[in-house]
Amino acid sequence: MRATELADMQPTLELIDDIYREKVLRARASSPGEKILDGPELFDWACQWMIAGIRNQFPHADADRVRAIVDERLALRRRLENHS
Amino acid sequence: MTSREAILAVIDVLESRGVPYMLVGSLSSNAYGIARSTKDADFVVELASHSLPDIVRQLGPGFRLDPQISFETITGTTRHVVKVADTSFTIEFFRLSADPHDLERFRRRVRVQLPNREAVVPTAEDVIVTKLRWALFGKRNKDADDVRDVIAVQGDAIDWDYVHRWCDEHGTREKLDEIRRSIPPL
Repeated sequence: MRATELADMQPTLELIDDIYREKVLRARASSPGEKILDGPELFDWACQWMIAGIRNQFPHADADRVRAIVDERLALRRRLENHS
Repeated sequence: MTSREAILAVIDVLESRGVPYMLVGSLSSNAYGIARSTKDADFVVELASHSLPDIVRQLGPGFRLDPQISFETITGTTRHVVKVADTSFTIEFFRLSADPHDLERFRRRVRVQLPNREAVVPTAEDVIVTKLRWALFGKRNKDADDVRDVIAVQGDAIDWDYVHRWCDEHGTREKLDEIRRSIPPL
């Protein structure tokens, strides 16, 4: 792919703002209680995907090893966030 | 046990024992802003005569209190971590501190409706004030993003005089203004 084509695929500031506006409007339409419980549900969902990826990468890992790798990755994310 | 079930179980036990509490951290910014994934649920509790080990025992065998206690640097309070079985999700309890804003946000806390029960959270203004301290002194981008989202979603409903008073006190006013300028017209 040529550099000019790649540049065409970059999101514009206008697009980024439009996407953010949509998120805000959707959030305004949801109740505080719904949004509180969305946090842990999104986490569980993300963990399921992470576990699927780890099983693919380490097909011989048992459940405890998979859980340990998930915890290591979450700890790494926390360290990265705290140094962002 | 799912993370959602774990949070609801903690709320139910705190409510049944009459422990004054509020949900803080990303769950409280989710309430007023744009929901995002969170790997822990933070509770501020006023324990007084209540015992944290007793609370965790009542939660049942799926919850384990980590014996290690750590310190939260901004308000100077203690943090107790509870592990939830079969998940990487954690519950964190912070004792109500003597920090003036911590005390005021606890006094002003409000009830919100969850499925079949209520939970207690700080006001939107107090979420902004607290997250700004973390964004500035904890240097965490996600806290600045949470502040931006709460301001964007709440729009004109924010009591700016209250927010400004605490930001001036905490030295976070410049950070607040910077975040407000970054919000696109809605």
